Amino acid sequence: MDWEGQKLSEHLMQIMLVMFAVVAFSTGYMMDSFRNMLLIYAGGTVLTMLITVPDWPFFNHHPLNWLASKEADLNPKPKIQPPTLKRKTSKTSIK
Amino acid sequence: MHSFWYRANALLTFAVTILALMCAMASITDHLNVPQPQADVQVSNINWFRKQPNGNDEVSLTLTISADLQSTFTWNTKQVFVFLAAEYETPKNSLNQVSLWDGIIPSKDQAKFSIQTTNKYRFIDQGSNLRGKEFNLTLHWHVMPKTGRMFADKIVMPGFGLPQEYR
Repeated sequence: MDWEGQKLSEHLMQIMLVMFAVVAFSTGYMMDSFRNMLLIYAGGTVLTMLITVPDWPFFNHHPLNWLASKEADLNPKPKIQPPTLKRKTSKTSIK
Repeated sequence: MHSFWYRANALLTFAVTILALMCAMASITDHLNVPQPQADVQVSNINWFRKQPNGNDEVSLTLTISADLQSTFTWNTKQVFVFLAAEYETPKNSLNQVSLWDGIIPSKDQAKFSIQTTNKYRFIDQGSNLRGKEFNLTLHWHVMPKTGRMFADKIVMPGFGLPQEYR
């Protein structure tokens, strides 16, 4: 998840939970049912969880582009020599 | 830091905080309800009235209890506990309360009732003060909410009396 995705996910979470709470409370109060309030809010919480917790693709529309490294070009990796050749040279140097 | 479990934790914490707030608001709405309960109790018969061997007076009554407590129920009410107490004054104590009957009302439909019953709990005085005694029958009730504070109230019905002689 990129930076913009994190911001979006957190805002979505807060707004959705508050909205479900308002809907659940007013519905429960009007229907005279505490149970319905809890059920609506529980459903809303699960839905919010499904939308904002997993790393969905739409949270990744602003990828962070790193600059190319200059150091890597200045110091190229040493070439790996075949092991047999390396052993031979070291032996000769000790003698 | 911003991982799957970090987001799950933040969501659950916020959800529970809001839930607590909703419960507090539900308990506040209880104060908007102004109950107008009604109750009527008759002593239909004095079954017997005696002095126990240890000197305490005991009486058995048949009671007709009618009450309408439907207006005490709100959406935040779990149940209503109701009990009927005999209240009288003796030289030693200014208030004696003897619980004669009680019941739990689990729903609004059952809050309007009329029953005839003998006293469920024994009506015994601690002494020998019941002959010719004037007493009140008081219907007490406790409204038990799902969340928030419990409300208690009562209706006092005066003007009951016991006979002068044992029978």
